[in-house]
Amino acid sequence: MTDGDYDYLIKLLALGDSGVGKTTFLYRYTDNKFNPKFITTVGIDFREKRVVYNGRGPNGSPGKAFKVHLQLWDTAGQERFRSLTTAFFRDAMGFLLMFDLTSQQSFLNVRNWMSQLQANAYCENPDIVLIGNKADLSDQREVNERQARDLADKYGIPYFETSAATGQNVEKPVDTLLDLIMKRMEQCVEKSQVPDAANGGNSEKLEGKKPAEKKCAC
Amino acid sequence: MSEAVDLSFLSETERDLILKVLQRDEELRKAEEKRIRRLKNELLEIRRKGAKRGSQRYGERTCARCQQSLGRVYPKSSTCRGCNHLVCRDCRTPGAHGTWRCKVCVKEAELKKTTGDWFYDQKVNRFANHLASDLVRMSLRKKPTASKRDTVGQSLLQQSHLSEARTGMKSTQEPLKEFSLSFAASEPRDGKDSLEPESTSPDNSQVDAVGDTWRNPLEKIGTLRESKKSSEGPECSTSVAVAGKAEAGKAEADDEVQPLGQTLGFAEETEMIFKKNPRRALRPSEYTKSVMDLRPGELSPGNGSLGDRSRSVPGLIADMEEEEEEEEEDIDSLVEIHRQKTARNSLRSGSSLNTLGSMMSIYSEAGEVSNILITGEIAVSLKYEQSSQTLLVRVKECRQLAFADDIKKRSNPYVKTYLLPDKSRQGKRKTSVKQGTINPVFDEVFQYEIPKSLLSQRILQFSVWHHGRLGRNTFLGEAEVNMNSWKLDKPFDQWLPLHGKISAETLASILPQKGELVVSLKYIPASKLLVAGDHKKGKGGNGGELHVWIKEAKNLTAAKSGGTSDSFVKGYLLPMRNKASKRKTPVVKKSLNPHYNHTFVYYGVKPEDLQHVCLELTVWDREPLASNDFLGGIRLGVGTGISNGEMVEWMDSAGEEVSLWQKMRQYPGSWAEGTLPLRPTMARQKLGS
Repeated sequence: MTDGDYDYLIKLLALGDSGVGKTTFLYRYTDNKFNPKFITTVGIDFREKRVVYNGRGPNGSPGKAFKVHLQLWDTAGQERFRSLTTAFFRDAMGFLLMFDLTSQQSFLNVRNWMSQLQANAYCENPDIVLIGNKADLSDQREVNERQARDLADKYGIPYFETSAATGQNVEKPVDTLLDLIMKRMEQCVEKSQVPDAANGGNSEKLEGKKPAEKKCAC
Repeated sequence: MSEAVDLSFLSETERDLILKVLQRDEELRKAEEKRIRRLKNELLEIRRKGAKRGSQRYGERTCARCQQSLGRVYPKSSTCRGCNHLVCRDCRTPGAHGTWRCKVCVKEAELKKTTGDWFYDQKVNRFANHLASDLVRMSLRKKPTASKRDTVGQSLLQQSHLSEARTGMKSTQEPLKEFSLSFAASEPRDGKDSLEPESTSPDNSQVDAVGDTWRNPLEKIGTLRESKKSSEGPECSTSVAVAGKAEAGKAEADDEVQPLGQTLGFAEETEMIFKKNPRRALRPSEYTKSVMDLRPGELSPGNGSLGDRSRSVPGLIADMEEEEEEEEEDIDSLVEIHRQKTARNSLRSGSSLNTLGSMMSIYSEAGEVSNILITGEIAVSLKYEQSSQTLLVRVKECRQLAFADDIKKRSNPYVKTYLLPDKSRQGKRKTSVKQGTINPVFDEVFQYEIPKSLLSQRILQFSVWHHGRLGRNTFLGEAEVNMNSWKLDKPFDQWLPLHGKISAETLASILPQKGELVVSLKYIPASKLLVAGDHKKGKGGNGGELHVWIKEAKNLTAAKSGGTSDSFVKGYLLPMRNKASKRKTPVVKKSLNPHYNHTFVYYGVKPEDLQHVCLELTVWDREPLASNDFLGGIRLGVGTGISNGEMVEWMDSAGEEVSLWQKMRQYPGSWAEGTLPLRPTMARQKLGS
């Protein structure tokens, strides 16, 4: 699987309360299968998937397609693994923050997860998508979409309702997150590429008048 | 980079499960490392092909990439905004909004993305800062924090293996028997090491490995695993094979070199001295340049940095690696010519004190920071002699360094020390180079004469380098000790894990304050300028004037013995960092509160320019005959991170720096005065997010 024949290795991490469906979500995403049994994740785990990302050219034109290898970290939601799982936050480039649409408590805890992320991720405002899972269980629903969307807006992150059981909307959040990360990457690189000693362009207007006062300044 | 994660709460089965996950992760990472190495080699290839060589003079107008002569006609070439080299049309790649970069810069940007460097750089910044609060504590930590690419998973895995190996050694006299790892390469020692000619004695090295001070909270994992392992015979044998292969390769390389060891060592040493002397003999002008700046502008803008010592503003260093590499080559060619002339001198100084020799070396940060995964640790001891006010630094040995040459499994390490923030040549100490070993024993003592009071504000930095052919040195890792947290009367004798380069930002955050600069700014728009007749022509046409009155500095750092500094202030109006925008005050001697009372004037500055330029003022201690010491600096501007629609690192003013600038803009024609704290480094500050 990991032959190195890809253009980018992007590491994502799923987090959220125990039982919200992180593992099944990822399983659905990578293998398109569903396992209704609840098997609690021990500490950490990960899955992989190869996707194609269509980048943009320098002028915003559709650019070439990149092969992206996704490493999708799955974390235990259980409190007792917390010290271990949060330690892994820093190695992820983006986050799938999940809660259970049928559990008000798991939704309330999103705030805590957000602050955990801010403290432990590679930077203070990493790329995150909020996911309300188990959308298929509409009769047991405890969190309405409005509520969730408001919270996501407050954090300025995208929100999706998914169902690992039916496969509904499972790809969308991952794609969105990948897109956010790729954009951030572009920005990062652009920023660091502009040198502090730029001589070209518009600084020219300052040129040509220096010989006169050079003496006074040395 | 992991802070200690306490995993004692896990059950044995849980640990095994997690370790299996970590091992899968390791596989993925190995593949990734391979991919990255391949990518980086591609870049090196392009760079090497394109980079200017020492054999060519810099004055020549050739394209820095394809070496085509550019001729005298200006428009044919232009300066790449990424690297400041003159580049011809064919070696450019267009980017967004009609901009372009040279091939190498484009490739570098691409690499930053594909290798994930953009991410790791940020991560390292964030977590280095955490650790920086107490560097000593960091250095006490069991496993090297190693490179920025390290992941938590990796270190957990390494640690669990490490402790396994260690307990193995403790319990039996035959370490190999207990070895059960497939990652033996990262182990501190194994039996085969005794083959190595360089190690003092096999017994010794083993004792060391056992007696060292790893403090590993994960040891428990190891111990548990180990008890299980003893029943797993087959795995044992494979792992030994892996270890054996690596070690055999190394031993081979050693054998090959060993007979030459002595002579080579000598040659290297003298060569080093050669390298410094010719430069000194050849270009005396350089040593006064940054102070006097009287040389005619013979340097083309792209190469202006060559020999300009004051440009080594801390924090810019990393950006200049490429140039330094080239400078190095330049030096090499000079060596050839002047070898004979200086032979006598060098022999003399070569036979004098070791430390003296290393003090005079001219190498700075030269060398490539390559894709080497940093491993290993360094043993040092410190002592402070009250009577002579001298810090004695004993560099004892290193072990399990990375291979600089991964193919030949070879490293020729030496250790360099600085008492940061002083990165000047005077502050540099270097050990001799040990040939072909990753476990070099140096046992050399360096001295730093420094009063106790000042010492506590310093950070002692050890960096390990591979001395490469043609002076192409490779970074193998570094470690720091914060003098502040060491009680001088207590003995200090430790193994410090090596880690990747610490960012200037991190250093800045732990270094103490650097004093203040009092400046007054005035912007006079063109409309308010007196019409003073014709002599204004050629001074930038219709723009206004920016007056920068450097009044005084307060509480500067003492750079000279006797607790004073001979300081001056240098100014640039960024984005231009060249002669056109450079200004300097006269030197004020022997004062930490110097009154400069000197005004810089920039002509032809339009009001709208004030949104896009940034005034950088840096304070330097003048060192005749050596590099000036950086004492601190400020940047005045809008601090938006953006200049002329582009993200720039230097537009990073904050707080008072911004408010003073804005005050000046708000009241054209009148002075805006401020007292600004000097930054300890000019590396980009984090913009408020």
